[in-house]
Amino acid sequence: MMMKPATQPLPKAHKDETLSAFLDGELPDEEARQVLRELGKDAGSQTLLWDYIAVGDALRGLHAGTTAPHLTHRVMAALEQEPTVLAPMRQPRDRRVTLWLAAAAITAITWGLWQNLPEQAAPVPMAAKDTPSSTDMQAYLAAHQDFAQAVIAPAEMNFTQVSLAEVRP
Amino acid sequence: MSDREIDLQLVERVREGDKRAYGLLVEKYRRKLLRLLSRMVRDPDEIEDIAQETFIKAYRALPQFRGDAAFYTWLYRIAVNTAKNYLSARGRGMQTVSDQALNDEDEPDERLMAQDLGTPESELLSKQVAYAVNEAVEALPEELREAITLREIEGMSYEEIAEAMACPIGTVRSRIFRAREAIAAKLRPILGTSEDRRW
Repeated sequence: MMMKPATQPLPKAHKDETLSAFLDGELPDEEARQVLRELGKDAGSQTLLWDYIAVGDALRGLHAGTTAPHLTHRVMAALEQEPTVLAPMRQPRDRRVTLWLAAAAITAITWGLWQNLPEQAAPVPMAAKDTPSSTDMQAYLAAHQDFAQAVIAPAEMNFTQVSLAEVRP
Repeated sequence: MSDREIDLQLVERVREGDKRAYGLLVEKYRRKLLRLLSRMVRDPDEIEDIAQETFIKAYRALPQFRGDAAFYTWLYRIAVNTAKNYLSARGRGMQTVSDQALNDEDEPDERLMAQDLGTPESELLSKQVAYAVNEAVEALPEELREAITLREIEGMSYEEIAEAMACPIGTVRSRIFRAREAIAAKLRPILGTSEDRRW
């Protein structure tokens, strides 16, 4: 059996069925975008889509009363005088992508800077190796006890606890 | 891509300079919008003027449309405000529907049924359309009639219809398409689908 070449245009019925599914929001994203692109160029597809919209509206009873059949023409004619709207939409998905890219860029820069840091001859100790001896520390604390909230009374100061009875004559 | 996403894509295309994409949005929602406005204003010419102003206002405001709400919900708010301003400028109030009802976005169409506010010509057209649609739907094979009804009236997705009708999604897609084609063939002579409808 001979295979059709891939570039051959789709049969009209298939194309129209795709348009019908597009109207229902039932096409995969890429295929829907392709239909949108083609709609801008193909007046026949546009008209067919209008027909399908009219069928749905008719089934829902939306043709009753005022239908203003030329409204779309009137609106489009009025918009001819309007400047083109040129404001790219910021979609949530785009924002997420941007955030991910920003995070990836920051990570890459940080990693690069880290890799290029000059190597140090010896590791720098995080804390002093030589801690003061217990005696030095106690003397230091005793000397500064006026500035402390708690009274420090190291043994070296030899305070003697006396009672008032002993002091009074 | 869902219906809402399609509208967002169309809006994006308009923002990229494709005015035709806006024409599709207008065509998609004009009847729904007219129906809404016919609950607020009696004169068909005024309804059409307000609808036109709504669509133009919406076009100008597209840079502010963030896509948080559905396009029609957003359009609906603009239409209600436009109609209120229009009537207020003429010292008139809404005709039948309360502000609360109009501001309630849930199922607005449910309240917008059975209005005969058009001209005799448009009422005749409505009757012709209704008759042609009924005739076309009755002539459909049962499986096509069920598929198109579940889609257009019940608003079910293809997946839901496939489950309800116990058939593959591809079959649902084909049935809905064939039903649409059959009904459209009956409507075309009445609605005058022709070259002059393109913009």
